[in-house]
Amino acid sequence: MHEATVDISAVIPVGSRRDDVAALVGEYAEGLRSAGVSFEVIVVLGGDCNGVAAQLAEMADANDWLRLIELARDFGESSALTAGFDAARGRSILTLPAYYQVVPAELPKLVAAGEESDMVIAVRWPRAGSALEGWRRNVFHGVLNFITGQRYRDLGCGVRLMKREVAEEIPLYGERHRFFPTLARSRGYQVREIEVAQSPQDDFRGRYRVREYLHRLLDILTLFFLVRFIKKPLRFFGTIGFIVGALGVLFLAVLIVQRLFFGVGLADRPALLLSSLMVVLGVQIFALGLIGELVIFTHARELKEYAVRRVIGGDRPAGED
Amino acid sequence: MSGRREADCPLDFSVVVPLYNEEESVQLLYERITEAVAPMGRAYEILFVNDGSRDRTLEIAAGLASRDPHLKVIEFRGNYGQTPAMAAGIDHARGRFIVTMDGDLQNDPADIPVMLDELTEDFDMVVGWRKNRQDKLITRKVPSWIANRLIGKVTGVPIKDNGCSLKVYRASVIKKVPLYSEMHRFIPAMASIAGARVREVPVRHHARQFGQSKYGLSRVYKVLLDLLAIKTITGFAQRPLVWFGMLAIPFALLSLAFLVASLVPLFGEPGALSLPFAGTALLLAALSFFLVMGGALGELIYTTGDLDMSRYSGITAVTSRERLPEGAPQAPQPGSQGALGDA
Repeated sequence: MHEATVDISAVIPVGSRRDDVAALVGEYAEGLRSAGVSFEVIVVLGGDCNGVAAQLAEMADANDWLRLIELARDFGESSALTAGFDAARGRSILTLPAYYQVVPAELPKLVAAGEESDMVIAVRWPRAGSALEGWRRNVFHGVLNFITGQRYRDLGCGVRLMKREVAEEIPLYGERHRFFPTLARSRGYQVREIEVAQSPQDDFRGRYRVREYLHRLLDILTLFFLVRFIKKPLRFFGTIGFIVGALGVLFLAVLIVQRLFFGVGLADRPALLLSSLMVVLGVQIFALGLIGELVIFTHARELKEYAVRRVIGGDRPAGED
Repeated sequence: MSGRREADCPLDFSVVVPLYNEEESVQLLYERITEAVAPMGRAYEILFVNDGSRDRTLEIAAGLASRDPHLKVIEFRGNYGQTPAMAAGIDHARGRFIVTMDGDLQNDPADIPVMLDELTEDFDMVVGWRKNRQDKLITRKVPSWIANRLIGKVTGVPIKDNGCSLKVYRASVIKKVPLYSEMHRFIPAMASIAGARVREVPVRHHARQFGQSKYGLSRVYKVLLDLLAIKTITGFAQRPLVWFGMLAIPFALLSLAFLVASLVPLFGEPGALSLPFAGTALLLAALSFFLVMGGALGELIYTTGDLDMSRYSGITAVTSRERLPEGAPQAPQPGSQGALGDA
């Protein structure tokens, strides 16, 4: 990242889901201006946005607070954000979606709250939408909150203001941007939720298909692993493997006892296949955990398990005694 | 970080103490450590690592640090656990030797000078042995005794007391040992694969004065898993394929047995081949194959890893020397050494 020269860098990743980006950028800028801070806006274009690119380039020529980054193709939102962070010159970084989620005029609320916390995330509230959507959202966040032990109400909202070091420290790739607050808090940063009015143009028509649900489910599993077991793979794989394997062994023991003492034949029992399959699966999962331990051991130095807030005292020059 | 040399260690030794909710003992701890090490007349620093305490630990420690330039407080953003706290202290330490100890005053700082003396040219690490341990028998001492025997057997580094935090390391050695998860219990074993020579010295142990013990029986299961991980990492550090191959052997034999059992009907009495037997044989064969492949993957991981494995030989020497008479107070007084140093 560059040296900090402005208060806030707003990073807008533009992907396939987008509204009128040029109009939106203008509204965001208006909102930030009313917050009374110096700012810049960085729009990261992921590939196929021809019309938008020309329009924004024109706009960038007229306004020196606007910059454009064009990526070769759409690498996904996390990569776009990372590209934007790399170019950012703000003391704080604000991520904004390229589609309507919140009312841009509400941004000053976020900026004000950003003074006190390491990260402030917007919660769209009050929330429009059907009861089914609300229910779906509650289930998703309920499961996530249960697993991570953190409390969030709207991880789908891309409006997040964070101190520069948060963006620098947490690597984003794949779909991880969605869980940015979770990852930030697990690194010890304070994250606060702020209620912000939802934009009337915010809608999800046709966004939630079966595939989407499956992705969310795998996301949850990923997060579970990342937050809890990143340095202890054997605790994760070992426990699962042990349970599966132990069930298999137990089942096998029952079969053997039946064979030895109750005269039930073993050779013609498909249950034997099931139980040995479970043993095999258990050992395989366990072995994966061992391989995980090898990975962690050989690459451990790159992963710091702790995060230091500050070091107090001890500034005595060496060799004074 | 890892590439530190002697030149980057301007001090003689660093005392690293992880603190978690120790507001009652932190002041006393600081005084005891200072009393013990200051008269030695060597350049030292004390590193308190505040592991996200929720009480006044940080406040008190910071207050002490503002008055004593020897004391440095490292404040974590959250609670990460004892091993990461030690790792942070070790990463920040500037001494040529590093002393680690618990923050609950169960270790006696007066043992530090003795242990530093024990760390002669021949050794890289001196570990404390709580000979007269002041803890509950059933919940602490018995599990610990079993764990130590097991750890000794599995790792091949027969240390009587792995759980004792009071240890002295040569900085150049400990900074190379990866510390993560809850591996602080296995530091001697981990270090020994780096060729470290370990000595064990009896130290005093006091009953808990303040607060609650933070560990209980629940860790047995964790220790067992960690131990298995350590075994994988250390015992076969350079040959994962062999280690996984060994794992595969019993399953391969079992597979063979089932295969024979399934083929028996073909030769003896008439009847169909046993499908469950044949299936089980195949499954087990697949498992042994999977494990060998896992070993190959392990080889790949080691080759690309950032550890210089050529340095990691299996040589280690462990000696134990009785220094303290049972229950008696410490013989050499740190003060006398200080007087010598001043003279």
